[in-house]
Amino acid sequence: MRPWTRLALAGAVAAMAAGAAAAQELYTPNLSYRTGPFAATGIPLMNGQRDYMLMLNARDGGIGGIPVNFEECETGYNTEKGVECYEKTKAQAIVTQPWSTGITLQVLPKTNVDQIPILAPGYGFSPMTDGRTFQWAFNPPASYWDGAYMILHHLSGGDLGTLSGKKIAFLHLDHPYGKEPLPLLEKLAADHGFTLLPIPVGLTEMQNQSAQWLQIRREQPDFVIMWGWGAMNAAAIAEAVKTRYPMNQFVGVWWASHTDDLQLVGEAGKGYRAISWSLPNPEAPVMAAIREHVIDAGKSLASAEEVGEVFYQRGIVISAILAEGIRVAQEMHGTAQITAAQLRDGLENLDFTQERIDELGLTGMMAPFSTSCADHTGHSGAWMLEWDGTQFVQASDLLQADQAVIAPLVAEKAAEYAAANAPWPVNEACEG
Amino acid sequence: MELLQRILVRPFAEMFGAPDFLMQVIWEGLVSGILYALIALGFVLIFRASRIFNFAQGIMVVFAALTLVGLHAMGLPAWVAFAGTLAVMFGLAVAIERLVLRPLIGQPDIVLFMATIGITLILVGSGEIIFGGENKVMIARELGIPSGSVELNPFGGFMLLEARDITVVAGAVAMVLGLLAFLNYSRMGRAIRALGDDHQAAVSVGISLSAIWVLVWFVAGIIALMTGIAWGSRAGVSFALEIIALKALPVLMLGGLESITGAIVGGLLIGVLEKLFEIYWGQPLLGGSTEAWFAYVLALIVLLFRPQGLFGERIIERV
Repeated sequence: MRPWTRLALAGAVAAMAAGAAAAQELYTPNLSYRTGPFAATGIPLMNGQRDYMLMLNARDGGIGGIPVNFEECETGYNTEKGVECYEKTKAQAIVTQPWSTGITLQVLPKTNVDQIPILAPGYGFSPMTDGRTFQWAFNPPASYWDGAYMILHHLSGGDLGTLSGKKIAFLHLDHPYGKEPLPLLEKLAADHGFTLLPIPVGLTEMQNQSAQWLQIRREQPDFVIMWGWGAMNAAAIAEAVKTRYPMNQFVGVWWASHTDDLQLVGEAGKGYRAISWSLPNPEAPVMAAIREHVIDAGKSLASAEEVGEVFYQRGIVISAILAEGIRVAQEMHGTAQITAAQLRDGLENLDFTQERIDELGLTGMMAPFSTSCADHTGHSGAWMLEWDGTQFVQASDLLQADQAVIAPLVAEKAAEYAAANAPWPVNEACEG
Repeated sequence: MELLQRILVRPFAEMFGAPDFLMQVIWEGLVSGILYALIALGFVLIFRASRIFNFAQGIMVVFAALTLVGLHAMGLPAWVAFAGTLAVMFGLAVAIERLVLRPLIGQPDIVLFMATIGITLILVGSGEIIFGGENKVMIARELGIPSGSVELNPFGGFMLLEARDITVVAGAVAMVLGLLAFLNYSRMGRAIRALGDDHQAAVSVGISLSAIWVLVWFVAGIIALMTGIAWGSRAGVSFALEIIALKALPVLMLGGLESITGAIVGGLLIGVLEKLFEIYWGQPLLGGSTEAWFAYVLALIVLLFRPQGLFGERIIERV
């Protein structure tokens, strides 16, 4: 055999071997943001996600006996880079985890063509709840509109009517993510007679919010609701302390519940609250498994303090949702090596009962929920967390959003989206 | 008519109706302006001495602040960590001169500018590898920066001055005065100014280009450290601080790239005017978030009438 022929043969064998190796894994890329201005939020979440998958690989050999390839593609929370990552990973991926509402909105139309499910736990476009319209998009266990409703419900003491005549400032990142709850808040303001005061924070002003907090001092709102991300949260909390705004009237979304953000002000931040669909529980059995198989084995990127905090443990819950979707898909289709389309079926049939949560070792970290063909969110509800000066502690029972109020808006905005992006495929056969 | 009234009458009525609030707005603008001026100063110094627009100035702020916090986290006392950070910034200045600038002597300006983009990427990558991307608490208390606030009651109202902001303002003023004294009265300072005026003439009289470049990059590093401490003590130390450097661009356009006075006056003007505009016009009329663009519009208006900026040198060339 001539040398060139030998080389070509060797190349072909290597390519076949690589192909076979690639087939023996579940490729679930994560469009991570460990760098840039939002890294402070991203790092603990990504670490939690990664460690859960590493634990499954080490303890169970993956899911259904197939190892999970949890590769990260760094976006820096930048929409253009996110789309590049999506394009780069989509050929082999069975799921895309875009990690930004801006990226989600960009890849949303593409997934209909590429037939890859988007998994955006607790973020993304709220009307993605409507599985008939958004067949490939999932945002369990709670949407931003659920979060906004639950915050108002909690602030009103359970009766939104009591907010009549009140003024509520909505401090938000001037970005698709920050604007996401506005349609619901505007509707609720009109329905219940409170004044909504949107206060945007530009990307370049995230660390210099004195103008926004001067506006809050001038307007004296009864409550401030914050939809912040990354460095914006710590700066807002520091400005609130500086402005002497009462902390017990200041509430953030779940991405504004990072321990590091509050450590800047420590005791002075006491009373600040944030809604959260996950709870930190260092005693949960899954945490012991992660310690044994990942942390103690030296495979984790997380620091010792980070492991006990809200964001790291939320990352674990996020990966647990994906892993369960994969497992359900494997069961439904009778194969361990599932495709993207099969995973879509799994994500549409999630059933996190309390028993299943306990089986997975996630006791006390999340609330039960289930998804369906029509409901891609599941609406688990959420708890209010409160900063006690050193850490976040649970400050309410499980809250629920009123879907009778939210569902019509979801249907309206989903229909608007489909019309604006026509021809848009809608699954008319889907009944719930 | 209603619109005209909202633009021309109501804002001023609000200012006179609540003078204590107006004073608070101006104070906040001054504090922001001083911090913008500090970042702009770093750009100006390097541009004067080497005609390089240093794209890396923003990341130098982050890198210096991270080094300070990182060294303290390793167990060094705060002031030892501060001295250690100065040493690191000096080492960085030497490395940049030896490895980046010296090999590029005589190359077009755009090549040197691209080299500073390269420096930015190296500092971002190495900073993230060494210190991580998490938000960190600035060691303000350990450095003796006071906390708490002073309450004043002008015109029967109230005004809050953060002790930290007062310290930052005082420190920035002292540093600028020191810098001006250094540039005007020391031998090395005059050498920097000479290089700014005419490179070839300065070199022909024996001024060492290498030594001056190391010096200006080191001074820019000191300014970056001070800026990092000031911003970091307000909102934590993270890579988001790099974005704030973008605010120095309109300051440079307004004040002129070569002028230290321009950087200071430009910074203060933009700090105060953008705050006044945001509070009295931007928020009520435009829904807020005008600070993202106001400074650029102001700088563009100035450039229409003075293309060299308020304090830049007018270049007259014979054709």
